[in-house]
Amino acid sequence: MSEKGRRESKTAEKVSPKEIADRIKKTAESMVTQIGKQLDPEFITMQRGKSNVVWDEKKGYLELGEKEIKRTFLNVAHARKFMQTTIVMNKTREYLEHNKTASIREIYYELKHTVEDTKENTFEGQAESDPIIVDLEHSVDTIREKLNLHANPKGTLYGDVTLLDRMHHNDKFNASKLGRGGWSIMSRVEPEEIEIVDSNAEYLLVCETEAIFERLIEEGYPKKNKCILIGTGGQAARGARRLIHRVHNELDLPTIVFTDGDPYGWYIYSVIKQGSMALAAHSEFMSVPDAKYVGMTLEDIKEYKLEAVTERMTDGDVKRAKEMLAYPWFQNKEWQDELKKAIDIKLRIEQQALANKKLDFVATDYLPEKIRNKQFLP
Amino acid sequence: MSEKEANEKAIKTSKKQENGDEKADLISKAAAKLEGEFKEHSVAEFFKKNKQMLGLYGKVRTLTMVIHEYVSNSIDACEETGILPNVDVKIDELGDEYYEVTVSDNGPGISKENVGKAFGKLLAGTKFHRLKQSRGQQGIGCAGCTMLSQMTTGKPSKVITGQQGKKPISLELTIDPSVNEPKMTDVKELEKDFRGTAVQAKFKGVLYRDSDQGPLEYLRRTAIANPHTQISFRDPMGQKFVFKRTQNTLPELPEEIKPHPKGVTVDDILSMGKRSSGRSVSSFLSNEFDRMGSKGLEEVKKRVDFDMGKDPKQISWDESEQLIKAFKAVDFIAPTTDALRPIGEKQIQISLQSIVKPEFLTVMTRKPTIYAGGYPFQVEIAISYGGGSGRKTGDETKMEIMRFANRVPLLFDQGNCALTRAVQTVDWKRYDIKDPENAPVTVFINFISVHIPYTGAGKQAIADEEEVMEEVRLALMQTGRKAGVYIAHRRREAENQQKRLMFYKYIPEICRALSSITKSNEGKLKESMEKMVLAKLKLEEAKDEQQRKQTEKTLADDDNSFVIEPKNEKKKEEHKKVKK
Repeated sequence: MSEKGRRESKTAEKVSPKEIADRIKKTAESMVTQIGKQLDPEFITMQRGKSNVVWDEKKGYLELGEKEIKRTFLNVAHARKFMQTTIVMNKTREYLEHNKTASIREIYYELKHTVEDTKENTFEGQAESDPIIVDLEHSVDTIREKLNLHANPKGTLYGDVTLLDRMHHNDKFNASKLGRGGWSIMSRVEPEEIEIVDSNAEYLLVCETEAIFERLIEEGYPKKNKCILIGTGGQAARGARRLIHRVHNELDLPTIVFTDGDPYGWYIYSVIKQGSMALAAHSEFMSVPDAKYVGMTLEDIKEYKLEAVTERMTDGDVKRAKEMLAYPWFQNKEWQDELKKAIDIKLRIEQQALANKKLDFVATDYLPEKIRNKQFLP
Repeated sequence: MSEKEANEKAIKTSKKQENGDEKADLISKAAAKLEGEFKEHSVAEFFKKNKQMLGLYGKVRTLTMVIHEYVSNSIDACEETGILPNVDVKIDELGDEYYEVTVSDNGPGISKENVGKAFGKLLAGTKFHRLKQSRGQQGIGCAGCTMLSQMTTGKPSKVITGQQGKKPISLELTIDPSVNEPKMTDVKELEKDFRGTAVQAKFKGVLYRDSDQGPLEYLRRTAIANPHTQISFRDPMGQKFVFKRTQNTLPELPEEIKPHPKGVTVDDILSMGKRSSGRSVSSFLSNEFDRMGSKGLEEVKKRVDFDMGKDPKQISWDESEQLIKAFKAVDFIAPTTDALRPIGEKQIQISLQSIVKPEFLTVMTRKPTIYAGGYPFQVEIAISYGGGSGRKTGDETKMEIMRFANRVPLLFDQGNCALTRAVQTVDWKRYDIKDPENAPVTVFINFISVHIPYTGAGKQAIADEEEVMEEVRLALMQTGRKAGVYIAHRRREAENQQKRLMFYKYIPEICRALSSITKSNEGKLKESMEKMVLAKLKLEEAKDEQQRKQTEKTLADDDNSFVIEPKNEKKKEEHKKVKK
């Protein structure tokens, strides 16, 4: 299947900036040829969103389907987006040719101007330029990072792992020697920029809140338990997901995820494990299908006598839990039980509720105990 | 009608309003008392005290009403003597809320004997109680203007009038209110050739405004509904306007018809009986009522308990009530409708084209029909779109409803009028008028009848008669459908234009980006893209045109819609405007 072949080349990691620039050029040339023949120029990209996302059970992650969308100029609904697409194409080609990288906010500002003789801007907000960038990623079979673009960084790494920053004097550093704050995960952590040199850790612990991240460092948890710690600060950003994927695969470490016990936290786990709808095309690069979930679980409430520190779920939480109940990747007994229970008792439990026992309880008792006993949800 | 008759009518009207179920003796006592009071005042004095009742309130409105009285008097006089009317109106500002009005015509002129009656005796007209399509039914008349002028300024009105083959005369005129008699002074024969009548009068406490309810708008609409009339106007600022005649033949004169039994009141029977020359009630009924055949008369006879052989002058209120009751119960043939004289579709079209200058116009004169069982009426509708259509207020254009009753513009009481309500109850969105309030649309409605059902003495709003509402709505919907087809077409055209602009504006950005990536010629690329846009839109236009033709074919029955070339688009105010 040629379509499939194209998809696989998309996810090939070893594509040079020149190759990407050439693909953009090819797309532009085909448009120019169409215009020359008085044909409506087309831009083809992949359809995104729920209707074109499939769950690959064997691979264990979400994948983009094969539905394409065609954007043409001579269409009232497309004309503006078509214009935006061509100027983004031109700008990213320029970045690639001149070895420059920019944040998606920077490219927005660089391209924003008033369209000649109108009161209209090329982009009225970053919300307009971001989707165009994703369109281009899909159209030329690559990821944003290969277009020399990056999102705002979010997430922190701490622990005994040595990294090499090829883009910055080839700095070599160990993430346990950077003070309590650890290393800020950049939004582009591609191998040609950040190399993972080595590590003595035995597993990777990903936790949702920065507060628990800091608590665990303060209690010396990573050192005592020989683990690498990544704090995502809520939903994991692209860079954090990419790094989790790389640490897991390149260092061959088990990945354990620790979030609040509520639909929001569970979805953070879900995205780390099997990818997101929005970036379904990049799941192969970013997901960790082998990841395990350590907590918080509703069972913990009883087990650790946390009844007094639970919170009520909002109607929105309950609705979300019901949706998740139907997700194909939550169709195992353990998660079905957990979600049904949540819908039934309508209670949620936060990571930091463990402080109710003792401030260091999470580091001294909860995590070591549960990890030792392999008390995970799949 | 004599003063006595007028008094009697007033008494009987008040009787009707006040009594209802009251006993007869109470009524007659009250009547005697009222009659006594009335005897102390002449009609002129009554007018003086109650001018508001006659619609003379509001500074702008009063001035417009004065113009209306003079102008319709001129047009009537010309029509009745077979002259194509030329009416010349001038308004001069003499001071604060103080104006002089001059109206002259090319009519037949008035004899010395009659000029006093025409301009100096209230209720002297002959129109008061006849069933005929006419301009004013119980207007204050020119004498009312004379009265108003002398009341507000103490000055006489000046009249110059000349008849064919006679020397014209000039005179000054006032009314003695205590006896309702004209007083002529300074009567002179003039040594010049003049046929027609010119009147000049001063008014205080009135105001000239160039508004929807001002004299200019009144004259503009009068010109629209009277295409055989040429009207020129000079406003107080010295601006001159000419509304040219677009029809060179006089409309046929309306016929007077007998009242239909279903269209009279108790009071009407009494006053008709008084004037009747019939010797019995039976002969009075069969001679003076429409559709009163022998069979109908038999049926009526069966339903009353008095002797139909009695003198019709002697009919009592109670007997008249019995007759009315009988008329309601008996089936009569619907009244004759051939007495009505519409303006006509072709004439309305020419007239609106000349004065409103719309882009599109559709006109319909409906067949005559009947309301309240006894009154024939007829409706003429025109809908115009674009160009000078609609009411312009600042930068906005709002829907304009031009109401006419027997060709007389109704400028006031819009909200109370059945014609307005009929327009408001039509679902204009169905005819592609998305926001009817703010559309460049003029709706023209001429309501024609031998008896206009006004809501009040101000004569500016038509009452909510069920059949009238239905008929007007029906006509609006039929014309609206045609207008809708055109408007939809225009909208698509505008959309196409917008599409072109939208595509065009992005072309430079796209070409710059693409040529920068591919190193191809930017100018050539641009040319090529523009060509492509035009080709696409042309294709769409052709498709639209085909569709429009199809729809128009289905509406082609009695087609009376006209598309006017856009070069005629001009603001209405620019019509023949010449600086003095």
